[in-house]
Amino acid sequence: MGTGTADATLRILVVEDEALIALELECLLDDLGHVTVGIAGTSAEAIALGRATAPDVAFVDIHLVDGPTGIEVARALSEDRRITVVFMTANAKRIPPDFAGAIGVIAKPYSERVVASTLHYVADRRAGGGAAACPDGFLAAPG
Amino acid sequence: MPAPPPATLIDAFARSPSPMVITDARAPDNPVAWANAAFLRATGYEAEEIVGRNCRMLQGPDTDQATVARIRAAIAVAEPISVELLNYRKDGSTFWNAMTITPVSDADGLAFYYAAQADMTHVHQLEVTMRGTNDELERLVDARTHALTAALEQKTALLHEVDHRVKNNLQVISSLMLLKARRTPEGEARDALQGMAERIGALSTAHRLLYSEGDCAHFNLGDFASEFLADMNAGLDPERHRIEADVEPIAVAAAMAAPLALLIHELTANALRHAFPDAREGRVLISARRTESGMHLTIRDDGIGLSAAPPNPAGFGRNLVEMVVRQMRGTIAWTEAGPGTTVEIDIPLQFAS
Repeated sequence: MGTGTADATLRILVVEDEALIALELECLLDDLGHVTVGIAGTSAEAIALGRATAPDVAFVDIHLVDGPTGIEVARALSEDRRITVVFMTANAKRIPPDFAGAIGVIAKPYSERVVASTLHYVADRRAGGGAAACPDGFLAAPG
Repeated sequence: MPAPPPATLIDAFARSPSPMVITDARAPDNPVAWANAAFLRATGYEAEEIVGRNCRMLQGPDTDQATVARIRAAIAVAEPISVELLNYRKDGSTFWNAMTITPVSDADGLAFYYAAQADMTHVHQLEVTMRGTNDELERLVDARTHALTAALEQKTALLHEVDHRVKNNLQVISSLMLLKARRTPEGEARDALQGMAERIGALSTAHRLLYSEGDCAHFNLGDFASEFLADMNAGLDPERHRIEADVEPIAVAAAMAAPLALLIHELTANALRHAFPDAREGRVLISARRTESGMHLTIRDDGIGLSAAPPNPAGFGRNLVEMVVRQMRGTIAWTEAGPGTTVEIDIPLQFAS
């Protein structure tokens, strides 16, 4: 860990229907030196924002305003190979076995440390480094 | 024709309540030679309608052909046989006929077949009824099992839903605290908000570990300690301060998860806050092991020690610790460890047998 590429600024889409959680997460991402490109509370918004902004990372909650639609959002966003999707949910049991294209899940309630170390891991993977250890508190998708 | 049997025997057979029939083995097609009154009553035929004809006249469309073939095979080799066969009366109604066919020989060889019969219809009806009752019972058991499975699924779904809400709400509460802390100027108020957010974080870690595995009733203290340690150490300067843990994987009741998480957090945070003033370096060690009646928890630091720390009248942390220990019916002792402070706690636990 701690390579130069892994500390790159990431452009992040937050798909979360709880305004307080989304706002605090945006502050935390800012503290960590990343940029929040948008916050979406519904699946339609999330998919539209994902297509419009092509973020590096999308944090996706499973329960959104329009129901448990986060899984569809993950599937749609991960079709774009540039987007790394990470679930962020208190409902990890709903994630299908193939993770709908997401690379893993951060279980709520999460700590700031797990968000930071997961982003470090994601940045390292995107930079082609396979050496970064999977952070604890983050569960990687199988395969 | 062979010689007829003695008259007394014929009389006895004629008046027997069991249907009986004798066929002539030497005549073509083995025809009925004699039938008693019980046989005529059972079949509904008159004697003249039956004598001279083969017994297959009693068979009908639902008579089992395999059984008929067995009878034919036994007769062909003159062997006795016992079978049950569905027979038809003259009026077309059916009855289950249990018969024993015995070849009878005289001086010239095989002469007659003698068949004694019994109406087994009631036994067959009983079997059918029993089968029906069994099917009904099985159907009832299936229906009950189905209902119970559905009820269990509903309960499990409900538990997941509540679990999901608790975890999500903890995230909202923690976000709320942190957001307010960000908007509060540096100082006591901000520290207090951050302290509360950290306590909620410890409770959150405990809750995240609850129900994550199949076992809903227990909480693994070892798993908690490693997650808690990683979270706390992430906020420390590793050159100066370090928290270490030596915690056995003790399974405690789920209800104790929150108080234990608060307790461990409070003592660790207290040590970090008070033991290392003026950039003093040091470490905090958390250890827990099972005892005969429960668990022994130790939080030790190598800081300045209790007596050297300035008195803290507000002392919320210490108050909270003593309250939680009392709630768990435990005991607590604070001692000077020279250097540092050692807090030792004994908590009774009920182990699953």
